[in-house]
Amino acid sequence: MAVTPPEIDDMPDPIVIADNLEKRFDGLTAVDGVSFTIREGQIFGLLGPNGAGKSTTISMLSTYLRPTAGDASIDGLSIGREADAIKKIIGVVPQDIALYPTLTAMQNLRFYGKIYGLGGSHLESRCRELLELMELWERRDDRVEEFSGGMKRRVNMAAGLLHHPRFLLLDEPTVGVDPQSREHIFETIFRIRDSGTTILYTSHYMEEVELLCDFITIIDRGRVIAAGTLRELLKILGEGGVIELEIAGGECPGGLTARLEGHASVTAVKQEKNRLLISSDNSAHSLPPVMRELEAAGCEVASLELYSPNLEKLFIHLTGRELRE
Amino acid sequence: MRNLWNVTIKDMLIVGKDRGAWIFLLITPLIVITVASFALGPAFEGGSIEAELLLADEDGGAVSSGLVEAFRKNENVVVVDAGRGECEALEKDGQEYEVALVIPAGFSGAVEAGGRAELEVFVDPNSNITRPFLVSVIQGTASRLSAVEVAAKVSVLEVMKVAPGADAAAVAGTAAAAAASELEDEPVQAAISNVGGVEDLNPFDTQAPGYSVMFMLFGVMTAAEGLLLERESGTLGRLLVAPVSRASILGGKLLAQFAIAILQITLLFTVGHFVFGMNLGNSIAGLALMIVVTAWTATAFGILLASMVKTRRQLSAVGILSVLLMSALGGSWWPLDIVPEFMRQLGHLTINAWALDGLNDLILRGKGLDAVLPEAGVLLAYGAVCFIIGIRMFRFRSVS
Repeated sequence: MAVTPPEIDDMPDPIVIADNLEKRFDGLTAVDGVSFTIREGQIFGLLGPNGAGKSTTISMLSTYLRPTAGDASIDGLSIGREADAIKKIIGVVPQDIALYPTLTAMQNLRFYGKIYGLGGSHLESRCRELLELMELWERRDDRVEEFSGGMKRRVNMAAGLLHHPRFLLLDEPTVGVDPQSREHIFETIFRIRDSGTTILYTSHYMEEVELLCDFITIIDRGRVIAAGTLRELLKILGEGGVIELEIAGGECPGGLTARLEGHASVTAVKQEKNRLLISSDNSAHSLPPVMRELEAAGCEVASLELYSPNLEKLFIHLTGRELRE
Repeated sequence: MRNLWNVTIKDMLIVGKDRGAWIFLLITPLIVITVASFALGPAFEGGSIEAELLLADEDGGAVSSGLVEAFRKNENVVVVDAGRGECEALEKDGQEYEVALVIPAGFSGAVEAGGRAELEVFVDPNSNITRPFLVSVIQGTASRLSAVEVAAKVSVLEVMKVAPGADAAAVAGTAAAAAASELEDEPVQAAISNVGGVEDLNPFDTQAPGYSVMFMLFGVMTAAEGLLLERESGTLGRLLVAPVSRASILGGKLLAQFAIAILQITLLFTVGHFVFGMNLGNSIAGLALMIVVTAWTATAFGILLASMVKTRRQLSAVGILSVLLMSALGGSWWPLDIVPEFMRQLGHLTINAWALDGLNDLILRGKGLDAVLPEAGVLLAYGAVCFIIGIRMFRFRSVS
């Protein structure tokens, strides 16, 4: 079901190439042969429900975990063989607030800056620059433990940016933040991208991925189930929208799916028990013939919903499960 | 190396800002040591003991009266007159006593007749402070009385040899009076001096080292907890994906804890010396060596603890049990001199015992640097073993 992006000559060069990455823990396969390419300057979205394997994938790319099989390269460096060199060019913003709560925002940034080899006035000015970017300069001397969840997330992000990484890994950076902080984080991510940093963004919020990402890979149970630009992915559902129907009194009769797919405007039909997902070029035009087919088949419609295609519906279409289950 | 130092500075900054940590590291041990010192103070200040002796004189003769008088003259003994029943029960007017003396009827007559005279002493077996003191006073006084009587007998025998017609009773009386007078002047005296030329013991001298080592171990436990907290909170993970080696991360944290442990025990001894008059012995170099090697071993033990457990909750249980056991076995609470030999040997499996052997040699016995080199060597090796096992077993990544 994966969509392969078209090869276009003027596309930016790949900076990350994941090749059949695999990670097993005591018999549990968390990541099962994941491959993708991230191009320079992209915001690359890794979308999937909790436990899909997003954080494990990020952990392998960041060199925190060694792959059980497969490899990945970042800027031509192998994560398996050249981890030390990779650490210098990547920035990692973990899902946890990986800060020292009793230290101030400035002290935290100074410490992480020094770890990356920064020092002196350059470090001071970089800390200031990032705290101003995060709108936290006024709170620089306050302990992080006194900050709201959103403010902590912003300092957490700043700590991953101190050394101007070429490739930034953002692991669910908006978990538990208020809408205002979330908006601020989005603005910051665009600014970081505009400054030339390539970003890998993981989330289980499809709205965020739709808004931010240039290229999206959907991952479920450790495997890539779809990949492409937002438009390419939504095409799977049909550009004209989706008709979702629930048939009263049990499963749909046999042959109904094939008859529905025979209509010109219908692009795909997916049936799950008594539920039908009908993708079409134009759902408003498709609706009358669909209803006639159902009536002819003796099906009583219990509920009907028309909506524009989105990643949430795509995930259900691909897996039969909700993205947030 | 640069990052090792960065981690050290960061950890020291965190501890420096943690008021609770300083209360635990410094104020709590000072309070405990002070309380223990004041409680045990009288045991170190012989002149201030006032032991109450319950006494029943059933004899009422000349010798028994002299004996009672001798007890009353002793400035460390308070004689409380009582009857035999009260002495046997070690209780009078609702107050309990630890030692009672009954001078039985016929005592004076027996002594004067040159026969065997016995004093009856009743003691509370649960008393360890005043009982040995009062018993020794009673034995000393009885010995002196015996010496007077022996002197009188010998005098009579010798006088009768040269002057057979002399008045034996008069000779005996004169000889007894002269012997008593001579003994009063104590012709033979023991000159007691402390080994190593140290001054008289201060209770702080005996309590501070033991409790300081114990609280140093508790402090190291806090540091081990900090290491697990870094792992659980994700900061350790963040460092692992940064260009910093594992050796620098662990080394930096160790160095910080090592410095804090040295600072802790140094401050405790400094306050003990200047505020409570604690002796620091005759060798500052020896003391510095023992502080450094004890801090090293304690720090390495902390890494070992952190490597043995998966969570901070487990660390609390294992750590507290380990430190309390080591303190009890290793002589932090009582001197190992009073425990049976096998317990003393068992105690030397602990950091406390080796540290206290060295510290006590320096502080209580006034020995020099050379004398503590064996203990320092054992502690260095002990720390090295803990350190090697600890860093090999420590899991940088979260277990979950």
